[in-house]
Amino acid sequence: MKITDACIACGKCVPYCPVGAISVEDPILVINQDKCVECGACKRSEVCPVDAFEEEKRDWPRSVRGAFSNPLLVHKETRVPGRGTEEMKTNDLRGLYGNGIVGFTAEMGRPGVSTDFRDVEKVAMAMAKVGLMFAPDNPVTANMTDVKTGKLNPELYDERALSAMIEGRLKIEDLPRAIEALKEVEKELNTVFSLDVIDMPEADGSVPAEKVLREIGQPFYPNGKNNFGLGRPLATKYGKDREES
Amino acid sequence: MTHTLHRVGTVENLSDDFPYLAMSAKGFPNEPGSDDKMREILKIAQKHNPVNYGDMRTGNEFSTDLDEILEKVDTRSIVHAVFTNVDDAAGFAKEVAGKNFGISLVLSAPFDLAKQVAEKAGVKVHTIEYAPGIWGKKELLAENWILEITTMCGHAMISRYLVEDLTDRVKKGRMTAKAAAEEMAKQCCCGIFNPARAEKLIKKQAGV
Repeated sequence: MKITDACIACGKCVPYCPVGAISVEDPILVINQDKCVECGACKRSEVCPVDAFEEEKRDWPRSVRGAFSNPLLVHKETRVPGRGTEEMKTNDLRGLYGNGIVGFTAEMGRPGVSTDFRDVEKVAMAMAKVGLMFAPDNPVTANMTDVKTGKLNPELYDERALSAMIEGRLKIEDLPRAIEALKEVEKELNTVFSLDVIDMPEADGSVPAEKVLREIGQPFYPNGKNNFGLGRPLATKYGKDREES
Repeated sequence: MTHTLHRVGTVENLSDDFPYLAMSAKGFPNEPGSDDKMREILKIAQKHNPVNYGDMRTGNEFSTDLDEILEKVDTRSIVHAVFTNVDDAAGFAKEVAGKNFGISLVLSAPFDLAKQVAEKAGVKVHTIEYAPGIWGKKELLAENWILEITTMCGHAMISRYLVEDLTDRVKKGRMTAKAAAEEMAKQCCCGIFNPARAEKLIKKQAGV
């Protein structure tokens, strides 16, 4: 994103930037191009009285900023708008999680901090070591040079995203080890991440992953996402059964 | 993406926050024709007192109008509606379930309230997603009262600086909390931001 000479430096747009990249410089405002994640929030806000924001076509690797940060763009890999995956939202059809397989995702840069891809790689590599099976249709996975180690394409290192999801599936017995690995790698980060864990309730309503989180003393929010199972055709196998079928 | 997860708050101040999403699975048999079904789902939502709704690819109640949202829904859309109590949330889910659209429906809410909604709607929770917190360099985060508002847009389109700026205007009597909440809601493309909850949080912070 850039601000054209039409800018009258009124400053109205400054608070609308999620990463604080717009600053007042005489005679116009400027966007710090290192901080800018190309999310488009400034232009979409329509707060500029002279329409001075101009969205530029970005070449690789800068183009990944918008792909990861602008929720209106559809990822090429998944055809899903936003950051690119359906995760538990369609588990009723896809059958990815349950029966001993949990969803495990680190949403790098969230909430509202943003991240560079060096930090994304640090966490991805830590998660690979504890057995995370990276989601093949995830845009971070698509930018790995080695899905066994979580190594990213180095061309991305200096790029930034409002958030990038390192997403995959784990055997439930590996969940405690994965949490421990994150406790180590979080000390090396210059950003934050939000963690997601997905599982299916048993017939009695208990959820195995919740039991593990409680046993290891890992707190979680009192609120979360609940898929009501209305998708059809329902998957007939979940998690490990699906993997083996 | 998990844009309706990670809404920061207490059970008490999340008790009026029931955002839904509905979508088809890309490449699965329920994708063809899902556009018409998602339009119907948005229309059903209108009958149950939503405080926001939208499709992330078009906009929400505060940035555009229902006709445009409906017109632009396609099979890749993810449609949303937000309710403020168990009865409305359950009424919506019950009506959608009764239509047998075959489209996935996901509710974010405190788990105990989500169970109540499911029971009243006659549906079962199929899959659950937990949010085991924020990790890493937490000193970079906005203050908690700001996060309670900004995390209602999972794509982080509502800037912490905007929340500070608008709340300050409310405090100084230059703007109502309702108007501030609606200006924030405009920035969240999907329509999952809850302006009713935001209004309460802004009033509390601004002391008005």
